[in-house]
Amino acid sequence: MNHSALHIEDLVKRYATGVEALRGVSLDIAPGELFGLLGPNGAGKSTLIHCTAGLAQPTSGAIRVFGHDAIDDYAEARQAVGLAPQEPNLDWFLTVEETLDYHAGYFGMPKRERRERSKELLETFSLTEKADERTRTLSGGMKRRLILARAMMHRPRLLILDEPTAGVDVELRLELWHYVQRINQEGTTILLTTHYLEEAEQLCDRIAFIADGQIVGLGTSPELADSYGVATLEDAYLALVGRKELSRSHVEVSA
Amino acid sequence: MSTAQIRLFTLWRREANRFMKIKKQTIGAPMLETFLYISVFGAALGSRVGELHGIDYVVFVIPGLIMMAWSINAFSNNSSSILQQKFQGAIQDQLSSPASPLELLLAFSFGGFMRGLIVAALTFVASSFLVDLPVEHFLVLIPALFLVGFFFSLLGVLIGVRAEQFDDVAFAQTFVLQPLIFLGGVFYSASLLPEPFQTLTHFNPIYYMINLVRYGFLGYSEASVALSLFALTAATAALFAVNLRLFARGYRLRA
Repeated sequence: MNHSALHIEDLVKRYATGVEALRGVSLDIAPGELFGLLGPNGAGKSTLIHCTAGLAQPTSGAIRVFGHDAIDDYAEARQAVGLAPQEPNLDWFLTVEETLDYHAGYFGMPKRERRERSKELLETFSLTEKADERTRTLSGGMKRRLILARAMMHRPRLLILDEPTAGVDVELRLELWHYVQRINQEGTTILLTTHYLEEAEQLCDRIAFIADGQIVGLGTSPELADSYGVATLEDAYLALVGRKELSRSHVEVSA
Repeated sequence: MSTAQIRLFTLWRREANRFMKIKKQTIGAPMLETFLYISVFGAALGSRVGELHGIDYVVFVIPGLIMMAWSINAFSNNSSSILQQKFQGAIQDQLSSPASPLELLLAFSFGGFMRGLIVAALTFVASSFLVDLPVEHFLVLIPALFLVGFFFSLLGVLIGVRAEQFDDVAFAQTFVLQPLIFLGGVFYSASLLPEPFQTLTHFNPIYYMINLVRYGFLGYSEASVALSLFALTAATAALFAVNLRLFARGYRLRA
């Protein structure tokens, strides 16, 4: 039976404070897809990701990762997920290499395989020279790369990237895009959240708009623009957040 | 090793790695503290006090100091480690792994347990060079020390999980644990206290732990050994059950 890489059904998340971050989200991501999740701050993107990765507990609804229920079958579901969170959450006590080694250990990978895999990823992400440095000594860009390498250590089938390019310089952003596309072409399903519409347009097969805890639009970039009756993804997004007046089509360009 | 064993071992390795990287603070400082106690209470005051219940004062004090070293180090290691990881967000790496609540609880507990064991063992070895420290009831001493160590490891985990700021951990250690240990009879025999303090001491659970350990070393106890051992086992089992339930619910760990 062919399962979705990620199947979310009527997901509701109400925090103890009473805030309802997700209000009945349903979503299907096909295996091999590069899927974008767009929405303003506080729309529920991170909550949806945290519920999928086991960091938040859904109030109701269902999440299945490659057919494995995220609650009842959490070990298999989490084994399939790699998460690169928005905030660099590195362990200060570990070196770069230990960060990768321990992560893979938490996912049950044997020592020899861990050593080979971390060597390979340190090279890929140009971190080999920093292997023995403590994580807190790294620059912002290196931390980003390490977080991505860590998420990939256990060879997840679904890689979740929560705003991977927020606050990074142009070179690193483009570098990360290349990595993401390459990983995706090698068969990994990717769920990407971003604030950069251009990034979503360039990378993603399909995009979902999330606002106020609900999916309000879903499709390819041209389909979304069509559904809002506008020319670009950006204008569709501005229509979604009720700020059409900001559209670049209104900007007068004088010679 | 099975994948579950690799997971558990790596989770524990992270905890041990942390305290070994700051061993001046986690092993050195408690060793120094214990020897300052031995110097002041044993050597300096001991010559004035002479004997308690026919035992040299310094020898009378050392079992309590060993127990205190194990318990405080187990507690403070686990409470600080968990709170630090929650602060950094680094704990998300373990929480989003397939590790079960039981694996997480055991690994976090064993971290402090090991640190306490190392400090207690070093204190024992060094004390044996300084004074003639007998081990009268090995079969009581070993389970008693292990249970005390495990009890305080679990208590440290509980406080670390509950804590929202470093003040919460400091409060538990300085205002609750330390007074209970000091007033539990590490440095004196409760039977010499005037009333009502003698009776009040019997309501302090740590009094029974100190007596058990002292009985293991010196063969002298003021409380029933069998009852103390039973109560300590029951308390440790109860605390373990509470923690396991909290971990399974994701209490203050998963949103």
